Amino acid sequence: MKKITLQVISALVVFAAVLNGCGKGSSGQQLPILGRTDYKEVGGKVDTIYHTIPSFQFVDQDSALVTEATVDNKIYVADFFFGTCPTICPVMKQQMLRVYEEFKDNPNFAILSHTIDPDHDTVAYLKDFSERLGVPDNKTWHFLTGNKDEIYEIGSGSGYLVPVGEDKDAPGGYIHSGAFILVDGQRRIRGMYDGTDPKQVTALMSDIPKLLKAYDE
Amino acid sequence: MTSKARSLKLNFIGLMAIPFLSLFVSCTGEKSEGAKTQERLSDTEIKYFTNGKKLYTQYCANCHAENGEGLGRLIPPLKNSDYLLSDIPRAAGIILNGMKGPIQVNGVEYNQPMPANPKLNQTEVLEILTYITNSWGNEFGGVDPELIKK
Repeated sequence: MKKITLQVISALVVFAAVLNGCGKGSSGQQLPILGRTDYKEVGGKVDTIYHTIPSFQFVDQDSALVTEATVDNKIYVADFFFGTCPTICPVMKQQMLRVYEEFKDNPNFAILSHTIDPDHDTVAYLKDFSERLGVPDNKTWHFLTGNKDEIYEIGSGSGYLVPVGEDKDAPGGYIHSGAFILVDGQRRIRGMYDGTDPKQVTALMSDIPKLLKAYDE
Repeated sequence: MTSKARSLKLNFIGLMAIPFLSLFVSCTGEKSEGAKTQERLSDTEIKYFTNGKKLYTQYCANCHAENGEGLGRLIPPLKNSDYLLSDIPRAAGIILNGMKGPIQVNGVEYNQPMPANPKLNQTEVLEILTYITNSWGNEFGGVDPELIKK
């Protein structure tokens, strides 16, 4: 009888640990708001001003104009890549496919993948690229091209806070971050994840529903 | 021991058995592939295979993936790839010099440039070839060094 009690207790401990683990993923825990925060006094009241993604204007794989209005009031994930990248991009795209497959049918969710080599990655190229990747339309996942300076600008400190740029010594000629950037409906950055690390992408996939939950309330 | 307690214990053992069983199944599955690889390859070739795995992770897996399945219709698979397995000297050339332009792999067209790997020496190319032609269900066997000599 003692043996059984011990076994039951150990089973309960394992069970509780599992429950605890699940709880961490699905509780209403708040995600942080990233970037520099400013405080402004307006009429004796202190306003908190968070870092937000500035307005932008790019074109996607279906020649559709994509601006901040496209993702207005949507949760979205942004990243930077280029089509002929021989290093981390294929891994990032493999991982972003996981995110896409999980949330592609949610109307409040979007993905913005910016090319950092717009001279090569034209609309036609991105259409072919996205179809070959397994993304048949631009309903959820937009592959963006446009003015090179504007792409670099939105990637930088005024936008997604990641390094992007040209570098003759880097493989493929460009350096860029492998980050997946999670943005909320008010264009505030709510998380940064290493898009080459499956574990971090799993964390991203468990954080997205925390933001999407606001739409159910 | 009451019958209730006994059935509880049985139940518990049954529950615990599930993860153990699945562990067993996955282990035996891997073992049999490993065993088959060992049967196919000589001792020297097994050394090539082992080094090839390391080199693959370093030079190839970013694009062709750890599981050799590639990426959509962008990057071709090496697993069960007719293009790879039907022409080893050609594959050696591509590993070393890269390639450009469309190719057909298992009836699917791919057209993504592959970069050259000028840092690799002849032995390393042989090691990578030994690994990729004997992994993920590929059962080519030992790669003859004469095949890839230029």
